[in-house]
Amino acid sequence: MREEHGNVGPVMISKGEDPGDVRTDVPYQLITILSNLYPWMTDGKKIAVVTRKCDEKALAEFFKRGYFARDRVIQIGLACNREQIRQCRCSDPVPSVVDIGEPHGGLDTDALSEKLMAMSSEERLRFWEYQFRKCNKCFACTTNCPVCFCDECVLEERTFVPERGVPPGMSFHMIRAYHLSDKCIECGECERSCPAGIPLLTLRKLVARDFKEMYGFSPGDEKTVSPLLTTLEGESLDGDECDEC
Amino acid sequence: MTEFKPTILAFCCNWCSYAGADLAGVSRLQMPPNVHVVRVMCSASVKPEYVMKAISQGIDGVLVLGCHVGDCHYMTGNHRTAKRMPVVQKILKDIGLNEKRVRLDWVSAAEGEKFQKVIVDFVDEVAKLGPNPLKEVRF
Amino acid sequence: MEMNAMNVKHVLTTCPYCGTGCNFYLQVVEDKLISVVPCKTDEISRGQLCIKGYNAHAFVQHPDRLKTPLAREHGELRQISWEDALDRLAKEIRRIKEKYGPDSIAFLASAKCTNEENYLFQKLARAVVHTNNVDHCARLCHASTVTGLLYSFGSGAMTNTIPEFGDADFILITGSNTLEAHPIIGSHMLRALDKGAKIVVVDPRDTPLSRLAHIRLSQKPGSDIAWINGMIKVIIDEGLVNEEFVRTRTSEFDKLKEVVMGYTLEMVESIAGVKGKDLSKAARLYAKADRAMVAYAMGVTQHSNGTDIVMALANLAMVTGHLGKESTGLNPLRGQCNVQGSCDSGGLPNLFPGYQRVDDEQVRAKFEQAWGVELPEKPGLTLTCAIKEAALGKLKAMIVFGENVMLSDPDLTHVEEALKELELLAVVDIFPTETTKLAHIVLPAACYAEKDGTFTNTDRAVRLLRKAVDPPGEAMPDWKIACELAKRLGAKGFDFSSPAEIMDEMAKVTPIYGGIDHGRIDRELIRWPCPTKEHKGTRILHAQKFTKGLGTFAPVHHSPPAESPSEEYPFILTTGRNLFQYHTGTMTRRSPKLEREAPEPYAEVNNGDAKRLGISEGDRIMVSSKRGSITLLARVTERIIPGSVFIPFHYAEAAANRLTNAALDPVSKIPELKVCAARIQKG
Repeated sequence: MREEHGNVGPVMISKGEDPGDVRTDVPYQLITILSNLYPWMTDGKKIAVVTRKCDEKALAEFFKRGYFARDRVIQIGLACNREQIRQCRCSDPVPSVVDIGEPHGGLDTDALSEKLMAMSSEERLRFWEYQFRKCNKCFACTTNCPVCFCDECVLEERTFVPERGVPPGMSFHMIRAYHLSDKCIECGECERSCPAGIPLLTLRKLVARDFKEMYGFSPGDEKTVSPLLTTLEGESLDGDECDEC
Repeated sequence: MTEFKPTILAFCCNWCSYAGADLAGVSRLQMPPNVHVVRVMCSASVKPEYVMKAISQGIDGVLVLGCHVGDCHYMTGNHRTAKRMPVVQKILKDIGLNEKRVRLDWVSAAEGEKFQKVIVDFVDEVAKLGPNPLKEVRF
Repeated sequence: MEMNAMNVKHVLTTCPYCGTGCNFYLQVVEDKLISVVPCKTDEISRGQLCIKGYNAHAFVQHPDRLKTPLAREHGELRQISWEDALDRLAKEIRRIKEKYGPDSIAFLASAKCTNEENYLFQKLARAVVHTNNVDHCARLCHASTVTGLLYSFGSGAMTNTIPEFGDADFILITGSNTLEAHPIIGSHMLRALDKGAKIVVVDPRDTPLSRLAHIRLSQKPGSDIAWINGMIKVIIDEGLVNEEFVRTRTSEFDKLKEVVMGYTLEMVESIAGVKGKDLSKAARLYAKADRAMVAYAMGVTQHSNGTDIVMALANLAMVTGHLGKESTGLNPLRGQCNVQGSCDSGGLPNLFPGYQRVDDEQVRAKFEQAWGVELPEKPGLTLTCAIKEAALGKLKAMIVFGENVMLSDPDLTHVEEALKELELLAVVDIFPTETTKLAHIVLPAACYAEKDGTFTNTDRAVRLLRKAVDPPGEAMPDWKIACELAKRLGAKGFDFSSPAEIMDEMAKVTPIYGGIDHGRIDRELIRWPCPTKEHKGTRILHAQKFTKGLGTFAPVHHSPPAESPSEEYPFILTTGRNLFQYHTGTMTRRSPKLEREAPEPYAEVNNGDAKRLGISEGDRIMVSSKRGSITLLARVTERIIPGSVFIPFHYAEAAANRLTNAALDPVSKIPELKVCAARIQKG
């Protein structure tokens, strides 16, 4: 990121170019931006990207599926500062290699998650009903999501999400929660970019916790295969991802 | 007060559970009304999206029935289902719905009686839960 | 830079859709626009966009773009060169001016063009052709705001800023489907709602925002003054008037009092169908709140008494003193990226840039000196009147910069007849439209991503556009086209080499823009009035005193719409936008993700009415008015009050404006697009 025109925005710096006033404190989702650019990269070109721990996990999901070639993406590890960790309610902020910044530990608990799970289910339903009623179907949560990489989005399929309807209702958010259950790396970009202020990161955290409890699996590790793609015995299932998405 | 009769959607796989339902029918086993059976080729073709759509449109309970593990006509189709449906149930819970509104079970072609039992049990259980609160929610 | 490095740019620019003025980055690879990235540090959008914003790159490089000038020969549009096109156009303008006089020519500026371009268009009309016949589509949206608020406050713009909505503790929204039409303004309102603010929505339609509101009032279309006056009466009766504000800051309160005293709750209920209990509750909440904002849009302005309704709302705000402070004020939400700016830069028949009257001798002398020519004093024709004059054969030529009057104006059949009467219709646009189909000369323009310039958003912030890619084919930015045309008409003072230079000239003659230049707004967010280079700009208007001194209460009475339902046409038709399409659809209908969401024209019909008429969801129905009929799909819903039907006006294949009434507000000449009588038939 670089400061220009009184704003901080993403920037691509070519080899030999003066990087200018580079900033790392504004949480742009660089992996999403990279995934837009990747198909345009000419053969043999490499790209380096500033990666927080969540970005590193997102890249792992790309490498795992063969969407990015591992040797073409160079990671510059960024350890987030305490304020960033607090804002993202991040539990796992330290990248495997720290090139920029001082490593700080993550938060153990998420206050809103705890509060929600302490509620009665009726209260919890009312909470989400109010939140989802604010949804304006801008698709910011999918557009900015680093691990939303299906070619055809199920949320654009009429069967599941009818055209027009604003707000799109409960199923939109449930379907998205399901689709992210084995991919979401909890970067919180969906929540940050939601104009309605829906606490989407909290929903992701709740589902991630359940997923981990059931299958002992958390996304963001290149070596493990999603349990949704293995048999009950843990053997890999044939067929591609889009059987289920 | 009239007794609450839940509306139930039952997805049955073509090779086992639907045949099981057929057997239950031929055997003239009593079945509760308000259960809508949808025949699908495999329990794995019941996308979680369908289940979640049905629930968010106010269906009181969704039952997904497939072949017993190991008997799937497509070898590992029901393994997928077995992995997916628990995630759906957890999402229901996180949103504030009762996860018992979705149930996965296995019924073979020979298990007409089991089919009846599964249905009756599920209907009873959902009846106890009361109507799906989303039925009254309009977005 | 290394050879063959990937050429990637992230260009910060301003959204071309609604008037919110969100900034975002256009992601450009090798001159291809590939995506939109929200700008996290932008004060207005805060890294958030709506679905239109995320798709703002999609139409830019569409194959349908106009790439060369076209001229009509033997009834068909043929490709010609720029030289030829501009020469022909200049020659025709000269001929018509000589034969019929300068006032037989009208220019339509555009709310989709930049301030700099609109400044040139009006300069072209006034200084070169010597006519004040210059107007633009603000006539169809907020003309009544400009006239109404100029009378009440002295300044026809949003009094406060967009981010302030987030800190209000009460918001009254009327005639605005904010979440769909201005989603990011809506998002600031939602932020207030999350923090516990009370929201009241007054709208005949059920909108996504009204479903979240604490109080929702569904008034009958065309009954706004009744409920507003009723609310003022409650405030007076219950002793909630801000006496000090009324005494020190306003005049003519007594006249207002006399008028509103007739509006008892019973009377309001009978006219507007709004329950007295709810209305007085809303009035109390508003009057007692600390930081109370009022927002309104087309539902208020597009009436044949639009100016009166705007003034009634101004009365309401002044009675309570909710003006001139943080998170208060009366806030018209303007619908186009630069509709505020094109008014500011003088695209109006009676006003020079900066709302300076053309019939004011001193002002005219100032402009005559600045431009070095004599200027006409008679205010020109409004857009709506120009169409009427054209039909009568009095207006002979129209030069249209980026408007699609053949879809956006009321009573299209009449518009079509009028345009066919013209001896010259020249259209400058980015896509072929329903209007270019009738044009004699069509010139290809650059769109927002292909030029520099400024847009002024609805909260008066002057925001930069930065060029991201080259225009397609031979297309040129409108400012260049205007300069070239002016030169061919023999004018001096059009030798600009960049929009920044145009802004410098505009700032010299426009006091409210006095301190604005491209260098400054490249780095800071400045809202007019900004009279000097040292001035930081103004967030809140009317803080110490109103722009005109004392605010004026205007005693206004309810009057019925120009057309009431009859036996033959028993329904009230009201028109508007939906979230996914934008105006005449020139851009959004070429954006696949937006078109997917709302591909077909539809009419919203109340479920009770539908049942009575035997119409079910998805049926084809015919909706007719005295002026025409269209066929489209029915959407049956409980979300519109019985007796009304709503049709979005985006769709050329079933243009709602075939039906609408061109009855005009006498002051602002805005047409009554929100109410006309209609009939629904199955089939």
